[in-house]
Amino acid sequence: MAGKRILSARTSRKLEGTLFMAPWLIGFIAFLGFPLLFSLYMSFHQVKILPKRIVYDFVGLKYYQEILFNSSALYDQLIPYFQEVVIMVPVIVIFALMIAIMLNQKLPGRFVFRAIFFLPVIFSTGAVLMSFMNQGEGNLSFLERYNVGGYIDMFLGDNSWAKPVKQVMNHFVLVLWYSGVQILLFIAGLQTISSSAYESARIDGATPWEVFWKITLPAMSPFILLNLIYTVVDMFTFPSNPVITLISTGNYGYNSAMAWIYFLIILAFLGFVILLYGRINRKYAKSDRG
Amino acid sequence: MLKANLATRVKQKWTTKRRLSKIRYMVLGREINQGLIFKLALYSVLIITSYIYMNPIIKMLVKMVMSIKDLIDPTVMWIPSSIYLGHVAEAWKLLDYPKSLAVSLFIAVTAAVLHCIACGLAGYALARLDVPFKKTAFFLVISAFIIPPQVIILPTIMAYTELGLNGHLLTLILPSVFGFGVKGALFVIIFRQFFLTQPKALEEAARIDGANALKFYARVMFPLAKPAILVVFLFSFVWTWNDTYYPRMFLGASDNMPLALKISYIDRNLTAFIQEGGFPEFLAEPIKMGASFLVILPPLLIYLFAQRYFVESVERTGLVE
Repeated sequence: MAGKRILSARTSRKLEGTLFMAPWLIGFIAFLGFPLLFSLYMSFHQVKILPKRIVYDFVGLKYYQEILFNSSALYDQLIPYFQEVVIMVPVIVIFALMIAIMLNQKLPGRFVFRAIFFLPVIFSTGAVLMSFMNQGEGNLSFLERYNVGGYIDMFLGDNSWAKPVKQVMNHFVLVLWYSGVQILLFIAGLQTISSSAYESARIDGATPWEVFWKITLPAMSPFILLNLIYTVVDMFTFPSNPVITLISTGNYGYNSAMAWIYFLIILAFLGFVILLYGRINRKYAKSDRG
Repeated sequence: MLKANLATRVKQKWTTKRRLSKIRYMVLGREINQGLIFKLALYSVLIITSYIYMNPIIKMLVKMVMSIKDLIDPTVMWIPSSIYLGHVAEAWKLLDYPKSLAVSLFIAVTAAVLHCIACGLAGYALARLDVPFKKTAFFLVISAFIIPPQVIILPTIMAYTELGLNGHLLTLILPSVFGFGVKGALFVIIFRQFFLTQPKALEEAARIDGANALKFYARVMFPLAKPAILVVFLFSFVWTWNDTYYPRMFLGASDNMPLALKISYIDRNLTAFIQEGGFPEFLAEPIKMGASFLVILPPLLIYLFAQRYFVESVERTGLVE
């Protein structure tokens, strides 16, 4: 009797949990799980929209082949954009870390700067950023003055990286605008490092340079990973992302295949970031012990 | 005599030395990050960086109020000779500002409120309740964060067409009823992290009293989560406001366009107009800038008032623990 009551209490608790979770799970199925699988299904089919119904003809990997082997969209738009992302993500994360370290100093007026560096999060509307970009705002004027573009041409030449590098430089400030949330996360992370760690390092006679590499950076490493992932996700809706215009309601099958190729590249990218992070972290731990 | 002289000289030397080291400490600091020089360097770096950072916005504000005469005049770079509001008025008309503003406000406020409710429930369940397959559920939340909207957009549009909702404002609100929409998964994580930091004793007391979980959540836990609610509300509002992707895909060219979408139409129309030769380009720019300003003005006003909450938000919600 008693056993049964405990069991029923546990089940009722489980039921409660499920009840709380249910709306989100229903939403997950309706707005994510199902569409995700359905777009995968469509990517293998030719979708014909007839007046009364929709017909799906199986075409196998045709669209994938088409995109991978003879389309300009992938190689002329998507890949260069990912090259830009490869440059932008470290730029954003390093910039955010530097600003966060500066703002973490006990400096009068640091709150004003904090507010300034967060400001772009408030107004980074796609269209507004786009019109800034089209007018050539957000480039670093001193780079132009010293003809850095010319140097890039000289060094990279016909290399496929020359264009992405220049693109990023052309709206460098707008790229930095995507670092508002990351700065907040880094500042919050920096405050978790206890001041006694810094004090003991000072007593041992460590230079600030050493303190940064031996204390600050290792303590920040989980936040760096967090910010790397956040930044990659944030780049989904970066206004110059070609996928925004590539995927439209025209050829459903073809566009779904395109979306899935894009998704797979993102997953590979995130996997690479996490793998690299794990590698570096392990190496760090080893060299510390040695 | 000599001895006394020596003594004073030694004393003098000591005091100057002490004074010197005092000055040195003040300028350079006992530690490298405490001295005056360090602070000056830091300030100058911060001021220069924020100037570069804010440059496009300052330029926008200046260009917006320049009269035609100033725009042609190459000597007028930063300070317009007079403040001319014609461009802003033009942008106001083109944007159909009162109507678009109402649409934008409606969508952003509704989505933010719904996010607070739906994501709060899920976050609370993940943090404190006994959910079967909790780890899987949390994994789903993370994957919801990572899946790009572009992958799921086409089937969603098809489903909306099936339901006859296409072009309706409801399409933008419906996902947030369930805690989806713009960055919904992130808000679930924020609520989860917040509820994890609360003391466990709260629920135990409620359980002994035999209170109904939903009632307990509504009466005690949800009101307790004020910092998290504020953060989620503000972020959800701003991000929904700024989102152009979903409105463009779901609404198309409907009558009720939110500001963020309307401005991209203006951009296109003006560009077409310029290409037809109806308008010199230097005249279109200030109108675009004025439109940009009008679009970002409402969130900017909110930021002015709630700045503290935004900036301290991450610490307050315990997001990093």
